[in-house]
Amino acid sequence: MSILESKWEELLEAFSEGLEEAIVELKNKNVENIPGARDALLDRLDILRTQFPRNDGELLKRAIDNTIQNAFFPNTSNLAVAFSKILKSRTHEQDFIINELLNGFITSKAKAIASYAQGPIIDRIVEAFANRNDFHIVDHQFYAMFGDPNNPRSYIKKQLQELINLFGLVSKEHIVDRDKRTSEKKVYTFYTFPPGILAILQEKYIIIDKTDNEENRNEIGEDGGEIELGISINKKSEKNNLVYAHISEAFDRNVFISLFLANLAINRKDLEKIGGSFTINGISAIFALILLLSFMPKLTVRVNHPILKDPSFDNDNMSIIPKSWMMRQILESLFEPLIKIVAFRLGGGRWLNNIIDTDINKKIHNQIRFLLKDVNKWILGNLCRVEIPIFVEIANIFTEVTLGLDRDEDT
Amino acid sequence: MRPILRETRRIIIDLDHELFLDPELEILDKIREEEEKRNIRKVRALSEFSAMYRSNIYEIIKNFIIKFRNKISTIEIKDFIIEHLKESIEALKILQQITNPDQKNFQNTYLYRLVKFIEEIVFPRGFNLQTIYKKLLDKSKDYYECQRHILLTHTFYRDKLKNPDYFIIPSVSPKVYQIINNITSLYNLDPNYGDFPEKTNYEIPMLLTNDVFEPYIDSIANAEEEAVKSIAERIGLRIIDEIFLAPQESFVDILLANNFLREDIQKDGKTRYIPQFSNETLLLYYLAIASIRRGFLSKELVNWISMNFALLIYMGILKWKLSDDNIFYSIFKDLQTNEKILPNLMKLSCFPNYLGMDKMKIRDSVQYRKEIFNFIGSQIDNLKDLINEIALFCEKINKEKK
Repeated sequence: MSILESKWEELLEAFSEGLEEAIVELKNKNVENIPGARDALLDRLDILRTQFPRNDGELLKRAIDNTIQNAFFPNTSNLAVAFSKILKSRTHEQDFIINELLNGFITSKAKAIASYAQGPIIDRIVEAFANRNDFHIVDHQFYAMFGDPNNPRSYIKKQLQELINLFGLVSKEHIVDRDKRTSEKKVYTFYTFPPGILAILQEKYIIIDKTDNEENRNEIGEDGGEIELGISINKKSEKNNLVYAHISEAFDRNVFISLFLANLAINRKDLEKIGGSFTINGISAIFALILLLSFMPKLTVRVNHPILKDPSFDNDNMSIIPKSWMMRQILESLFEPLIKIVAFRLGGGRWLNNIIDTDINKKIHNQIRFLLKDVNKWILGNLCRVEIPIFVEIANIFTEVTLGLDRDEDT
Repeated sequence: MRPILRETRRIIIDLDHELFLDPELEILDKIREEEEKRNIRKVRALSEFSAMYRSNIYEIIKNFIIKFRNKISTIEIKDFIIEHLKESIEALKILQQITNPDQKNFQNTYLYRLVKFIEEIVFPRGFNLQTIYKKLLDKSKDYYECQRHILLTHTFYRDKLKNPDYFIIPSVSPKVYQIINNITSLYNLDPNYGDFPEKTNYEIPMLLTNDVFEPYIDSIANAEEEAVKSIAERIGLRIIDEIFLAPQESFVDILLANNFLREDIQKDGKTRYIPQFSNETLLLYYLAIASIRRGFLSKELVNWISMNFALLIYMGILKWKLSDDNIFYSIFKDLQTNEKILPNLMKLSCFPNYLGMDKMKIRDSVQYRKEIFNFIGSQIDNLKDLINEIALFCEKINKEKK
């Protein structure tokens, strides 16, 4: 058995112990206000305990590798592939998860992945792209958003460079022999996404308008073609192959956040580049929470239960989560091993070594349970899970694996 | 902007549509050059803006002709251009006459009607907190995300950090938003109960202050105590016995009225208020407090709220007047146009008869005008829904005026 295999087994064992502790805690305390809720949770934890270690932890492997990673943190070295997968997983609610992954969990003990000031800069970049018809931003335009475009402050220049690196934007210089204002030579730098990314955006986020009268039209993403720069001087010289690109209604800040996340995903081995221990702990914790939420049973309440009459409760798309699940005592024993499992699957031993299991971190773990606050809803004091695709997919794997194993046992 | 559009419309109407078949469309360049010569404005900034604006209009017209002349007849193209110019002129006419400079009959102006319409949804007025809270809650089903959005600023204004004034209501930072969510969760999950100070034989839910704030603060000293107290106050809570966080007396009434607390009689005969909070329970209280104390909002929040109103009004009018495929939409949404229109709308909407916020707090330097771009870039889908609703309301006002 290799070191990795034995480590994996060790992690599964720790999770199993965590489940046992949770079951004991749950038996000792009843905080439920819905009849049968505690029993349903006990049953679910018991099934988890017996089923998940089988087939070398197939359930967790599939849930993390095939589902969570695929949707939010693709395991690939190709930025375009990673970006495309994250974009595909976008829904109104899953956007909140993407946002949360960017912000991490904000505590005084650690800084967020993206600093407090980067969020608004992303907003401005969205606006900068939205206001041109060639899907480029120009350094001059970016500086204009923060002050005098002809005399930008050094930190603005630095911030632009950081963002260029962060999003992997490609640049092209355009030299104007005589600037109208100063009559001097001026260099404008245009930035846009690399061709692979543009091709993906073209599916939904960019609307391409091509001029009709020319034969040698370029198309983005094909044969190295690209959107032509849209400034008037440039149009005069290159108007024979103009391609206009407008952003669609769907283009928003989450497109950038998805790209940001895709960058983190493909650089997962370069710990320094992705923000080190904090990023690892933050991402692993959120994914652990997604797993736990997905494993929770659906509760059935009596027909005349007030929650069913609440206008914000959608019976087709929501289910109530047992209160006991949110108990600190239950989650404390589950979170730590599960976070380690997630870290191990995402980044192997290097990520696992960066998981902090100190007392301070346990305090932070207690906060994790309150994350994804915009995905799930509190209705009349009960936490309701919105059945977003990621929860449904993992729940399906859970059913499939447990049913499959039962069948194997029967035969 | 409007005179340039009107001139352009006149020119296009007089133009022979056959000229649109010229490969280089030189006629349009010539017209533009001629028009530029006529420019007699003396203020440099205005003349630069006009030049930019005129050049954009002709550029758009030219591209539109090039794009469609092989697909549809030039006479139809001409009609489209004239129609889109007409729509744009009408939109600008509404914007120009959005209010009366002398405030005569201001209740019938678009600005007043629209401010009141939006105000009722996201920042209502009322003679007490309970009324405001009820109004907010009624609209929260459809517009909770908008209501939340106007508290969560994305802009940053330099404020004096020394000697902070706790009476001033700031915006909700990501940390405070998380704290509010944690408090909601903790109340629902595992509250303690203690005597209701103002009502004997009643118990109210309480949380340990440490449970809420400890992960955010290394140690609670005097400054932190003050900060915790003021955060608590803005979400309807108070500190009891120095360690518990419990709802204020007035908030208990609001919570009871809206089914966020239910009564449970204990074996000892005491009535216990069991919390059953929703996501919006505490945040809407924050918004209600901000609304009732709108004279004491931080500069950041005043600017942010008025920015929201200004953009909603502006976009609502555009949505109403311009067809979705109007070729000049991009000019209206251009940063330079926004930078010119929105700050004025922000100030106008702050006047006493409208939003009634301190318009002196609107920062209008070049630097702060740029903050508008954060706001526009951070828009959410729910705001777009509200813009659609505003466009429908504009139509209604228009019918009433006729």
